[in-house]
Amino acid sequence: MLGNALIAYAGFVALCLAMEKHFVDLLGRKPRPAQLRLLRSAGWLLLVLSLVFSVQLRGWAHGLVEWTAVLMAGVTLWVFGLPYQSRLLLGLAAASVVLGPLLAVLAG
Amino acid sequence: MKEGFRQAMAWLHTWTGLIFGWLLFAIFLTGTLSYFKEEITHWSQPEVRRHALDPAHSLEVAQRYLQDNAGHSGTWLIRMPNAREAALSVGYRDPDGGPRGFASKTLDTRTGQPVEARDSRGGEFFYRFHFQLQMPHPFGRWLSTFCAFIMLLGLVTGIITHKKFFKEFFTFRPGKGQRSWLDGHNAIGVLVLPFHLMISYSSLVLFMYMVMPAGIMASYGNDTGKYFNDLFGRNDAPKAAHVAAPLVPLPSLYAKVQGLQPGARIGRIQVENAGDSNARVTFTQSAADHVAYRRSANWTFDGASGALLSQGKPESGVMMTAFSFAGLHMGNFAGPWLRWLYFFFGLAGTAVIGTGLVMWLGKRQLKHAGSERLPGELRLVEVLNIASMSGLLLAVAGFFWANRLIPVGVEGRADWEVNAFFIAWGLSLVHAVLRSGRRAWGEQLALGALAFALLPLLNGLTTGQGLNHSLQAGDWAMAGFDLTALGTGLFLAWLAGKMLRSPKPMARRASRAAKKPSTETAGAS
Repeated sequence: MLGNALIAYAGFVALCLAMEKHFVDLLGRKPRPAQLRLLRSAGWLLLVLSLVFSVQLRGWAHGLVEWTAVLMAGVTLWVFGLPYQSRLLLGLAAASVVLGPLLAVLAG
Repeated sequence: MKEGFRQAMAWLHTWTGLIFGWLLFAIFLTGTLSYFKEEITHWSQPEVRRHALDPAHSLEVAQRYLQDNAGHSGTWLIRMPNAREAALSVGYRDPDGGPRGFASKTLDTRTGQPVEARDSRGGEFFYRFHFQLQMPHPFGRWLSTFCAFIMLLGLVTGIITHKKFFKEFFTFRPGKGQRSWLDGHNAIGVLVLPFHLMISYSSLVLFMYMVMPAGIMASYGNDTGKYFNDLFGRNDAPKAAHVAAPLVPLPSLYAKVQGLQPGARIGRIQVENAGDSNARVTFTQSAADHVAYRRSANWTFDGASGALLSQGKPESGVMMTAFSFAGLHMGNFAGPWLRWLYFFFGLAGTAVIGTGLVMWLGKRQLKHAGSERLPGELRLVEVLNIASMSGLLLAVAGFFWANRLIPVGVEGRADWEVNAFFIAWGLSLVHAVLRSGRRAWGEQLALGALAFALLPLLNGLTTGQGLNHSLQAGDWAMAGFDLTALGTGLFLAWLAGKMLRSPKPMARRASRAAKKPSTETAGAS
């Protein structure tokens, strides 16, 4: 469950950075259009990956519920933590891209 | 036309939110506590000891106790202990024992002896309150169901009113007065929206038999019991034949259930006509086993011969849909991690309502920022806001303090705990009337901080099962309760600190906002 949560969290962070306003605010430079496209696809991909792992590990019934739960938890942590600890949360997102799939695979 | 529609929805959102917000806040907070119903009950009755689960042994001691003490009774009910609930509960119909002709006892799962636990309703009180509101049946259920409908309406109208649903999906800007409240209200509403929608819609599904009874009444008249028997594949037990026949050992029936459905956890067992040749034993699977709340997962045996008579029918798609909503609402299936998430999403729902109430008032207060006194109607809203939010927190704390302080032997002890809840709530209303808005908030939150933060200490002093004991013994329900109380205390202390500090920067922001009314907020006023 933690692995899926981290993947979902990283997915939302990518989707957030794919919005120009947030990209500029958080990374302090203007994004190229290709970067935004890449972030957007990566974000959606991570969310789908988290769904696949959830269902794979826990079956459809529990998997869908847990996926929705970690999705909501991840994005809430991001949005409400951002004004206070943006660097920490960005770091966590970067770590999650590696750590999330690793944990999910180990759990399976 | 479109703008007119949005304006109308904003109006509906604002006013239904205000009128029902106070009650909804209480329903959401107590409902959220109900996700830890068993854990709260465990804390409220520390005399009930937890032992390793052994269903066959539990059934054996329950059967022995009931045969010795309730051989004359036509109906027995056994509730099995589980990972979250330490108690083995037995009950039996007894015209002169206990309320409503039903006597119940809590047994120690190892010895089978009744546990003399303090009389308390524990988590059951908050659970019942969140849909019955301490009102006579059926009015509380009607009112809370109507509130659920209002919540659903509030969500839909809120989405329509919220112009920048996607554009401000990730936006929260703290420290900007009204702007931040609106950001927070929107973000916590949007980000946890699947939970909010599920919880309010499923409340309506749970009570659909009450809200939309026409279909049932057309086919079954007033015999709704028969409808549920048909639905869940149950049969009423036959009358006692008055031919004595010993009841088969319940553990042997448990083994048969395990053969039919390996790994099934059993929630409750009902025995009709024990000791008679027409005895019937029904095993119902624990709700923790499925996401959907499958009330038809049951097995009925002949209690004299031990033969399997019937199994719950497989559910139709429509039933599974309804059961899934019920199961999602109650979250019985959730393990510890998911249960904590449920708890936090419940708090998020509570926060949506709370921030909405604060904003309604904050926005209108701006117009009177310079004057000494608020107009009467705004002052009324302010008092009700304070009493319904910080006052409710004091009421919850009052319940737990009463649980530890009222002596064990007192007559009607459980009722006095409930009285303490309402007395604390009532006093907080009086306090809110007497003190000015900001002071009342600050003082009540500070008192709440103290009351919650000291609960672990009180627990340790009165029961000897404080954190030093529970953490060592691995009693996570007890330790989790104490730590949550401590965390709540710290959070309230932080809030109280914000309220009690000088309100000047707030007023400055307020006047600036009043000069330049923001276009985004205009829609929702």
